[in-house]
Amino acid sequence: MSFVEIAGLTKRYGALTVVDNVSLSIEKGSLICLLGPSGCGKTTTLRLVAGFAEPDQGEIRVGGRAISTPKSSLPPERRGMSMIFQNYALWPHMSVFENVAYGLRLRKIPADDLNKRVGAILDATKLSALARRHPGELSGGQQQRVALARALVVEPEILLLDEPLSNLDANLREEMRFEIRRLHDQFRFTSLYVTHDQTEAMTAADVVVVMNQGRVEQTASPSEIYRRPATGFVARFLGGTNLFEGARSGADAVDCGEGLVLRCAGGAYAAAGPTSVSIRPHDIKLSEAATGESVNSARGTVARQTYLGSHRDYLIELAGGRQVRVVAPTEIDIAAGRGVWLYLPPAACWALER
Amino acid sequence: MAPESSAALAAPARGFDAFRPLAGLLIAVLAALVALPFFWLCWYALTDAKGAFTTANFIALATDPTMTKPFVLALAMAACVSALSCAIAAPLAWLVARTDMPGRGAVRALVMASYVTPPFLGAVAWEFLAAPNSGLINQAWRWAFDLDPFDALVDIYTFEGLVFVIACYTFPYVFTLVATALDRVPTDLEEASAILGARGARTLSRVTMPLVLPALLAGALIAFLQALTMFGSPAILAMPAGFHVITTKIWSLFQYPPRLGLAAAASFPLLIITILLLRGQAWLLGRGNYAVVGGKSGRARPTKLGAWRWPAAGFAGIVLGLTVALPYLALLKTALTSEVAGPLTLDSLTLHNFHFVLFELSSTRLALRNTFLLGFGAATIGVVIALAAAWLVARGKSRLTGALGFLAMAPVAIPGVVLGVALFLSYSRPPLQLYGTLWILLIAFLTIEMPAGYQQFASALRGLHPELEEASRILGASRLTVLRQITAPLLRANIVAAWCFIFIGAIRELSATILLTTSNTKLVSVIIYDLNESGDLGAISVLGILLLVITFAVVAVANRLPVLGGPPQARG
Repeated sequence: MSFVEIAGLTKRYGALTVVDNVSLSIEKGSLICLLGPSGCGKTTTLRLVAGFAEPDQGEIRVGGRAISTPKSSLPPERRGMSMIFQNYALWPHMSVFENVAYGLRLRKIPADDLNKRVGAILDATKLSALARRHPGELSGGQQQRVALARALVVEPEILLLDEPLSNLDANLREEMRFEIRRLHDQFRFTSLYVTHDQTEAMTAADVVVVMNQGRVEQTASPSEIYRRPATGFVARFLGGTNLFEGARSGADAVDCGEGLVLRCAGGAYAAAGPTSVSIRPHDIKLSEAATGESVNSARGTVARQTYLGSHRDYLIELAGGRQVRVVAPTEIDIAAGRGVWLYLPPAACWALER
Repeated sequence: MAPESSAALAAPARGFDAFRPLAGLLIAVLAALVALPFFWLCWYALTDAKGAFTTANFIALATDPTMTKPFVLALAMAACVSALSCAIAAPLAWLVARTDMPGRGAVRALVMASYVTPPFLGAVAWEFLAAPNSGLINQAWRWAFDLDPFDALVDIYTFEGLVFVIACYTFPYVFTLVATALDRVPTDLEEASAILGARGARTLSRVTMPLVLPALLAGALIAFLQALTMFGSPAILAMPAGFHVITTKIWSLFQYPPRLGLAAAASFPLLIITILLLRGQAWLLGRGNYAVVGGKSGRARPTKLGAWRWPAAGFAGIVLGLTVALPYLALLKTALTSEVAGPLTLDSLTLHNFHFVLFELSSTRLALRNTFLLGFGAATIGVVIALAAAWLVARGKSRLTGALGFLAMAPVAIPGVVLGVALFLSYSRPPLQLYGTLWILLIAFLTIEMPAGYQQFASALRGLHPELEEASRILGASRLTVLRQITAPLLRANIVAAWCFIFIGAIRELSATILLTTSNTKLVSVIIYDLNESGDLGAISVLGILLLVITFAVVAVANRLPVLGGPPQARG
């Protein structure tokens, strides 16, 4: 049994089911990311774990103990967790030191021990020089580090992060992504991280949970999620993809109609009936010459071509009106309106149950 | 902290979470504050001496001319006050907010000063100035033109005099609303009109005025309401003039022989009018077209007055002279001379009045003590209740918290004199016999000031992100700890403001106080009223000046107290 077990968690606001039968397990010391578009229920799930909301169904267990059920819920202050908020939520009337020391004071830590602990975490987050400042005097990145220090210093059983980087500018966000992963590797707190940014999830997480419309679409490691998406939604949301709808044909192929048959390296074929095939834009080979393959190959016309410096972004229209996005090296320069051949390597084709 | 420290620190030990019991207590207290008086008001209005149901009180109210006349007079008086307030305040607000008139900042500050002056003190000061015989203005008039001793230029003991004196203390309400609205009229709207070729006056009448009209009307309603429900000024000026308005009439029903049922019944029309006017005001200020006045397009371009700059300043000077300077000077002169009517020379200067009030007048010290005890008590308890109620409503999730918000705001619709009647009826009988103690006055002040305090905190809490509180809870603070350590310090400025507001409101209150006070529970406001009856004008002036000085001192100190972490430090 994992350290954190979430089973059948459901939360409704009126007629709207915001979190729908979510189950998760989190191993002790791992960092798990809830990833999804806004409104997918990831933040509500986090707030249910924190205790800021009570579930309508299901339960949350930590270390074998039920902390939240529809009947009784431990209040947030009794859960021994920490949280990092989207807007940092630093208290403007306290100095950096006081902000960080707050949780220790609530735990009645003696003064010398408290000073030692706060000093250590301020060092680890490179904030020692700013201890006397107030939050209003800090930059966004510094405020973010104070929020981290405040959350980490109490050595929480579980660390919750709610879109912690969304208020930072792009450069700082990249830096902090690695910083969060570094601090996690150093302290190994069991962490639940909510984000809508797939790069953040890929960088930080041991396990990614993709959510959509209140439900879990897939739970897996970052590479697994990317290479073996469980649903079309996951494939589209992570990195973008082309989806071809069709029906299973034979042991490892899908007939997508219009003469396009795709052999797939793996995936979840439906036993019978509708299946989709996902293939990433950069996995498709583009050429003006015929590929000579009878399967995994299609003919189309360049509808649009965009030069993006490191690569070219093509939109190809197949016979029957189907559109395919292809990312090709800059050397392959085919003008709009020209005919092209596409080769979709079986190793890159991934079948999905629809 | 070493990376290898694997054992998590334990969550803080479970303390007693007093949140739920306190929330329940708060609802009970507020319900008692509002519901109990209302119940007894209805009970007395609808029963006779034996407790049987009767409509006799309401029939008397509608047919007895001694009851209907004060109503008509009060409504007429309030309408005149409202019109006069607008006539003074609207031009003044425009001059201050939108022109280059000299001394605009000073005018704003002085209008606020007249806001702080208790209205009954203004009425007394105007007695000194414009009583037909002894009034300073009339004496100067006779001296200047060598007239008979009974010729008078002005007589304050008239309907017109009353309207004038009340308007002096209601126009700041209109001024504040209109000036704020004018401050917020987007410049581009006026510039758009100017570019289309409209001249200054046309832009003013066709663009600016319609935009601030809702604010002006709302101000007019507030002035009307203030005048209608005011007790002090009419009691000081109308009763010597031989007529009653509704508030003084209700008070007279408490004199011997008391007619409590009629007084209770007479409260209902006041209650209903107040509710209607407040709804009207909320509607005016809440309508969509007023929201236009909220656009942000930089600082307004002031209208150049040119040759009219000094006449405009003269107008502002006259308004402030009549409402602030003259009354204050009259109080000061009366305090410092032994004879009210006598001239002010170095010889006639005396501290006799101060000596008399502070050391000889037996009731003064008790009244000062009572006043400040109640002021501090009402302000402190009121802030705690209002903050807790607003916080429960803002952060709570249950249906009960909605009721809490309603209860906290309900007293806004209860005029002071009506509350006085209702509290007298509720607490002068078993089981809770509080009449004759300071407790009944404390309840009155808490009830009267609750809506203002609640509103202050409700709007402040809307601007405070819940994450700031959640961050504290997840680290181990109970809800009450969060309120004490995070929410209250962050709302420090609002707490000080609300405290001062309630304190000032409490020490200047007379409408409810006059019905609830006894010889053991006199307050400074009541002593001033009593001394006016007995004609001891020097003592009144001294008390009035003391009241004002202490008010300003308390406000100044309250803003500097190091409670809740002291004033916010300047941060780079």
